[in-house]
Amino acid sequence: MQFGIFSVGDVTPDPTNGTVPTEHERIKAMVAIALKAEEMGLDVFATGEHHNPPFVPSSPTTFLGYVAARTKRLILSTATTLITTNDPVKIAEDYAYLQHLADGRVDLMMGRGNTGPVYPWFGKDIRDGIALAVENYALLHRLWREEVVDWEGKFRTPLQSFTATPRPLDGVPPFVWHGSIRSPQIAEQAAYYGDGFFHNNIFWPVEHTKRMIELYRRRYEHYGHGSADQAIVGLGGQVFMRRNSQDAVREFRPYFDNAPVYGHGPSLEEFTEQTPLTVGSPQQVIDRTMTFREHFGDYQRQLFLMDHAGLPLKTVLEQLDMLGEEVVPVLRREMAALRPAHVPDAPTHASLRAAASAASAASSAASSEVGA
Amino acid sequence: MNAPHENAPLRSTFTQGPRSRRSLVVVSAGLSQPSSTRLLADQLAAATRRRLDADAEAVDLRDRAHDLTNHLLTGFPAPELERVLDAVAHADGLIAVTPIFNASYSGLFKSFVDVLPEGTLADKPVLIAATGGTARHSLALEHAMRPLFAHLRAVVVPTAVFAAPEDWGGGATAHGPLAARIERAAAELAVEIERREPPVVPDPFDEPTPFSELLGGQST
Repeated sequence: MQFGIFSVGDVTPDPTNGTVPTEHERIKAMVAIALKAEEMGLDVFATGEHHNPPFVPSSPTTFLGYVAARTKRLILSTATTLITTNDPVKIAEDYAYLQHLADGRVDLMMGRGNTGPVYPWFGKDIRDGIALAVENYALLHRLWREEVVDWEGKFRTPLQSFTATPRPLDGVPPFVWHGSIRSPQIAEQAAYYGDGFFHNNIFWPVEHTKRMIELYRRRYEHYGHGSADQAIVGLGGQVFMRRNSQDAVREFRPYFDNAPVYGHGPSLEEFTEQTPLTVGSPQQVIDRTMTFREHFGDYQRQLFLMDHAGLPLKTVLEQLDMLGEEVVPVLRREMAALRPAHVPDAPTHASLRAAASAASAASSAASSEVGA
Repeated sequence: MNAPHENAPLRSTFTQGPRSRRSLVVVSAGLSQPSSTRLLADQLAAATRRRLDADAEAVDLRDRAHDLTNHLLTGFPAPELERVLDAVAHADGLIAVTPIFNASYSGLFKSFVDVLPEGTLADKPVLIAATGGTARHSLALEHAMRPLFAHLRAVVVPTAVFAAPEDWGGGATAHGPLAARIERAAAELAVEIERREPPVVPDPFDEPTPFSELLGGQST
C-alpha cells in the first residue's frame, strides 16, 4: 500500500498571528514539504492545480520536475490535474516528458475542478464538466497508446496524423487515477478504463464515500478488469497531531475555526465526527485510518493533507515527522497483515512495464507457434 | 367534527407503516415555542389524516437551523438533517408552513428548500401555508410560496392556507373560516396523494449511466 501526502497549494493567513506567506514562500514551502515526504519514507507527493488566487500551483509539471531532480524514490503525482480545462494534447506531452525526467516516478489524478470562473478563462463552460472529462480523457488515453492519432471531437480542433511527443517512457503511459467526490459518472469512467479511483473523502461523511467506492468497485468488475475487491482505490485524509490529543485540539482549533475551508460552519467536534478529519494523538490517527479499510475495503493509496488551514511550514514539517515516524510504519504493517494476497498494489511504472513486457512476450510466443 | 385528540401535536419520529399507508412530512419554519406556524401545520396534518391513512412526521426547522447553515457551507447534511431530507424525498405528500417575513417566506424556510436535492419535489403533492402578523400578507403565499414550489415542479394544491392573528384570537373558534380553509386544502392534498403511486426515489449510485452512453459514440 502507498502512503503519501497531497497539497492544495493554498495561501492561507495563519489565524493565530495574521502571517500570510508570499507566493514565493508558499511555493518553496511546497518543495520543502515534498522533500520531507521523501525523507520520511513516504511513497507519494501530489500537487493540486489551480489558476486563481489564493492558490499557487498553476504549473504542476514545473514543480514536479524540480522535485524529481531532488528526490530518488518519491512518486510524483497530482491532486488533481484539470482534465476539463487543460488541452489533453498538452497533458499527454507534459506528463510523458516528466516521466522521462523522473525515470517513471509519475502518475496523475484527473479531476474536473469545481471553480466555475476557471472554465471560461480556458475557453470552456462548467456545464460541460462531465462531457469534457469524458472526451478529453478518451483522447489523452489514445495519445499515450497510439503513435499516430486521427481524432475529432466536440471540444478541441481535430487532429490529423498527430504524434504526441515524447512517447511515454518505455512505451508505458503513466498510471491514472480519477478523482471525484460526488459524480457517479467519474467512478464509471475509472471503472471502464480499469484506472484507479480516488475519493477525496476529507470533507465527506463515510456513508457517501462508501457509495461512490462501491459503485466504482462493482463497475470495475463489470468491465472485466478483475474482481471488485481488486479495483484500485485511493483515499484522502487530513490530520493534526500532537503527543497529547488535548494539545492537538487546543493548537488546531483556531486554525479550524478560521480557515476558509473549515471555518464558521460545523464545530471542530462535529466535523471530526462527521468527516475523516482527525485531530489528536498519532494513535488516534492510526485508529481512524484503519477504519477506512473497514468501511471501503482494502485499498491501495492513502494521501494525507497536512499543510492546510494556514499552518506554518515549521508545524507542517513537525507533523510530517510524526506521520513518517509513528503513523505510517504502523499503518503499513497493519494494513499489510489484513490484506488478502489477491488484492493488488497500486500500479507503478515498474509494474506496468513488467506487465507490458510479459504481455508482449506472450503474444510473440503465440505468433511464433502459429508460424511454426 | 374535530375531536380534541385529532389536533394533538404530531409525534416527531417517522415510522414506516405497512405498504398501503401513505406518508406525510410536515415542515414548519416557526421560530418561537409554541409557534402559531407549528399550530397551523398540526391542524393541516390532522385534517389531511382524517381523509387519508397516513403517517406524518413533523419537522421543526428551528431544530435544524445549525444543520442547515452547516450544509450550506460544507455541502453535506449532518446525519439528522440527512434523515429529514430522505423522509421528504420518500414522502407521498408535503405540508410546508412558513411565517411570512418581509413579504415572503422566511430565510430559514428558504435555506431548507435550498438544500433539498434537485428533483426531490418533482410531482410531489404539496400544501402550502403561512402565518403572518397581519392578514395583509396573505397573498405572499401566491406571489412567493407558489412560484417557488412551481419552480421545484411540485404539484401545489389550489388552496393555500394563511392564518392571521384574528384567526387565532378575537373570538375565532375552531369552526371559523380558517377551519374551513384547512379542510378544503387538506381534502385537495389527500386527493392528489391518493391518485399517485408512492414516489420512487432514483439512486444514481445503483444505476450509473453506462460509459458507452457517456462517450456518445466517441472511440476510446
